[in-house]
Amino acid sequence: MKKLKKKDERIHVRTKGNFHQTLAPMLFLAPNILIFLLFIIIPLFQGLRMAFMDWGIFTVPEFVGLKNFANLFKDEVFLITIKNTIVYSFFAVVLLTVVSLCLALMLSRNSMKGERVFRAVFYIPSLLSMIAVGIAWRFILGDEMGIVNYVLRSMGGSGVKWLTDGNLAMMCVILVSVWASSGYYMIMFISGLQAIPNELYEAATIDGSSPWNTFWRITLPLLRSTVLVVLVLATIASFKAYELIVTMTKGGPGYATKFIVQQVYQVAFQEDRMGYASAMSIVLMVIIGIFTLVQFKFAGKDGQYD
Amino acid sequence: MTKSRKATNRVFLVILIVLAIVSLFPVIWVALSSFKPQNELFSSPMTFFPKTWTLGNYISAISQGNFARYFMNTVFVACVSTVLTVLINIMAGYALAKYYFRGRNLIFGLMIATLMVPLQVIMIPIFLQLKNLGMLNSLWGIIIPPAATPTGIFLARQYMVNLSNSMIESARIDGAKELRIFVRIILPLSQPIIATITIFSFMWRWNDYLWPLIVITDNDKMTMQQALANFVGQLQINWSNLLAMTTISIIPVLIVFFAFQKFFMSGITAGSVKG
Amino acid sequence: MKRSLVVLFCIFALFSPLFAGGGKESSASDDVTLTVLWFNDANESEVFMDTIQDYLDANPNVKIDLQVIAFGDYEQKLKMMISGGNPPDVARLTTSHVPILAASLEPIDPYLENPEATKAEFMPSMLAFALDKEGQMLAYPTEATANGMIVNLTAWENAGIDVREISKTWTWDEWEEAVKKVIAANEGMKYGLAVDYTIHRFATLLYEFGGSFMNEDQTAFDMVKEENINAINYFKHLHDEGLVPQSVWLGSENPAELFQAGLVACHIGGSWNINTYNTNVKDFEWTVVSTPKGEINSSVPGGKFIGAFKDGKNKEAAMDLMAWFSDKAHNEKYCLDTFNLSSRADAEIEYPTNSAEFAVFQHDLSITPAFTAVEWGNAKVTQLSTFMVEQIVQVLLGNQTAEEACQAIQARSEA
Repeated sequence: MKKLKKKDERIHVRTKGNFHQTLAPMLFLAPNILIFLLFIIIPLFQGLRMAFMDWGIFTVPEFVGLKNFANLFKDEVFLITIKNTIVYSFFAVVLLTVVSLCLALMLSRNSMKGERVFRAVFYIPSLLSMIAVGIAWRFILGDEMGIVNYVLRSMGGSGVKWLTDGNLAMMCVILVSVWASSGYYMIMFISGLQAIPNELYEAATIDGSSPWNTFWRITLPLLRSTVLVVLVLATIASFKAYELIVTMTKGGPGYATKFIVQQVYQVAFQEDRMGYASAMSIVLMVIIGIFTLVQFKFAGKDGQYD
Repeated sequence: MTKSRKATNRVFLVILIVLAIVSLFPVIWVALSSFKPQNELFSSPMTFFPKTWTLGNYISAISQGNFARYFMNTVFVACVSTVLTVLINIMAGYALAKYYFRGRNLIFGLMIATLMVPLQVIMIPIFLQLKNLGMLNSLWGIIIPPAATPTGIFLARQYMVNLSNSMIESARIDGAKELRIFVRIILPLSQPIIATITIFSFMWRWNDYLWPLIVITDNDKMTMQQALANFVGQLQINWSNLLAMTTISIIPVLIVFFAFQKFFMSGITAGSVKG
Repeated sequence: MKRSLVVLFCIFALFSPLFAGGGKESSASDDVTLTVLWFNDANESEVFMDTIQDYLDANPNVKIDLQVIAFGDYEQKLKMMISGGNPPDVARLTTSHVPILAASLEPIDPYLENPEATKAEFMPSMLAFALDKEGQMLAYPTEATANGMIVNLTAWENAGIDVREISKTWTWDEWEEAVKKVIAANEGMKYGLAVDYTIHRFATLLYEFGGSFMNEDQTAFDMVKEENINAINYFKHLHDEGLVPQSVWLGSENPAELFQAGLVACHIGGSWNINTYNTNVKDFEWTVVSTPKGEINSSVPGGKFIGAFKDGKNKEAAMDLMAWFSDKAHNEKYCLDTFNLSSRADAEIEYPTNSAEFAVFQHDLSITPAFTAVEWGNAKVTQLSTFMVEQIVQVLLGNQTAEEACQAIQARSEA
């Protein structure tokens, strides 16, 4: 309660007592809430109920309690996909955030010719549908047909097993994901950076602050809310990664790049065990939820209400 | 300062050019390959540039099915949906950033949580829901449900949190109504984020595959991405048509990007942002 | 709060006219619009419309609403439509769709004057896919496919080997010996064989080694047996020897592309490859030969079907159309124009090119044991198809033995 009061004082946009100011945010939120309710939340509950049932798509669901969840933790393939997803997400998110922030910093200073063109260039990969991206990279990294290995061989070297070796395949999948989405997060960072007033930088320069110091003392603190956005969105997206990986490696070699969503999809639609797949998705959502909460806790501390 | 700045620029320029080459290489490869005749696609040794240039892939991709119709459908869906998305996301972002009411963190949290749902998993309940609402096989079925994007709300909210409260307050003191404050003060100040969400939303809807897959079966209402996916069969893939169509499908999104990117820069005045 | 809920509701009410979908209005007269769900490997949907044009001319009250869905999502979409009570009137089906959808497919027998006579018109192996447990036909077989070995003829000639001749009797050992010579004789050729990364193509080896997925009376999975283990071990041996490129099963490179690039001497693919290779391969000659003999000689049958659904709205008209499309003349035209083998026993098709290749596939199919079609008509085999290839890859990677893979598959089938 005390905490609330303090915030109330800080915000000064008070809602107490004024009817319009209570109703207004509700109305502003209404269309979104309505759509979420109708098209995501209601279907979600209908779908996830099935986690407690044995259900093939054309059969009558049969209540089995927690059996599906119990089986999950004995399912080696599922455990491997969880491990893979977490490894992938960790590296992809860290790299994505760093790379896209660096790009944004270089491209939002308004002092260089061609900034606009560069922005477009880095954004283009995220315009391609994931299917196209997966195909393109398979052609580039393929063992026999890939351009990279072709060049290596014609220079007298031997080919590298980019997608045929488990660890290399994981690395390639991570790097390609970074390639494919860093432009997207770069845009978010740029729009965040634009909101930082120039006066602050000018003052810092006059004070003789080095660019490095300016970055840590001014840019990053003011960019905090954007960093949070990027971290959260990138984490969620990488936990849900599916199309790109499927077209690039089909989850292989073996299980080396198989992630949860692919496994859920396969169990649900190919093996026709919808109930079991629903249980998997609940576990996935819980994992994402935990990671997101942690990010809000750490990165979101100040950014949230200021 | 200008001297060091110039030096930095030069270093950055080199880095950027290298990165740009890496970034564009696969895209250019797709584009160039789309001009290769089919039998050249997998010939060995492979070449970067087509040995014989052909427009055949484009002609056959366009003549397959009802290309003009798919294109127009996608344009219509992407445009209408983007306008809707921007409007309702900005509204929601504003409500979550600048009003203090009970449960707002819960609402915000729930909205973000919807992002965590892998939609592929609940396709069947969504399908049944759309059927109950009579939205199957209707373009509205791929415009309205995905219009509320948690990402858009998230972006809008985080942006608006940084806007100064004093302007809103003084407007209230002057007796301005809430909607008026939103339209007259908030919207103009939100130009950069509107531009960002517009660019993203157009791209999402343009590349959207999942919603059309659930909603549309009617050939007259199909979108580009569906037509594109049709080139991948059970036993065979029509590479040349796939590559050509992919190349075509990038262009509209690029146009939108160039049209809106200048707004990143405008609309920000020092006073409107908290220092 | 109440008031805001009221407002919420009002907004919804305002929006609701927009929600009205584009459901097809069916008029009162005897006009019928048949929705036909289709997927394409190449141009099948166009050929289909072409083939039934005379039916539409003869029945002006019938309209076709052809809906083409990408194959990758076809099954989900079809399942969604069925579970929503909204199936299409007619759908193109693969061998795996028939058993999976068996409970929703409308049996054809009651619509036929003489069901047994109609069934006898189709090849027994293709018909086997389409029968339910009571022996009723659930779908009409349309085109048939066979797995088999496609060879780079030019490369074999360069090695001085008459592949057409020796393939008449060759065993896998003889093949191995010969193909090593071919690799040695051709610069740029690196491998002997590429096998598509699917369990269906792997089954070619499995059957040749005398193996099978199911037990003899086709009631349950029976993976753990010596023949199956031998087949997997032989496949691993081919990988370890470097005769098969690792990049296909481990790195998901497309074997058809490797073959087109002249990197492999042989490709275990199927009759559908004829069409692609015919247009794409310009740098060398190729042909189809009998697959080397293991315990037996075998191909793997496959194919496509059309069927109608129990919940369909125009079942009579759908049955009528399907019967028309599946008669001798129309089936021949369809298979000829799509460049496929026919499922009809009485079809006589003169292909403009590659008739020799089609003949080999047809021959291989004719000596394939009948139980193979029954196996592939079992839903479980399809449901576990990805799991099975993954388990085999684990063997290729050396992470488990062939026996362990068979045991894992057996266990999953019982889960």
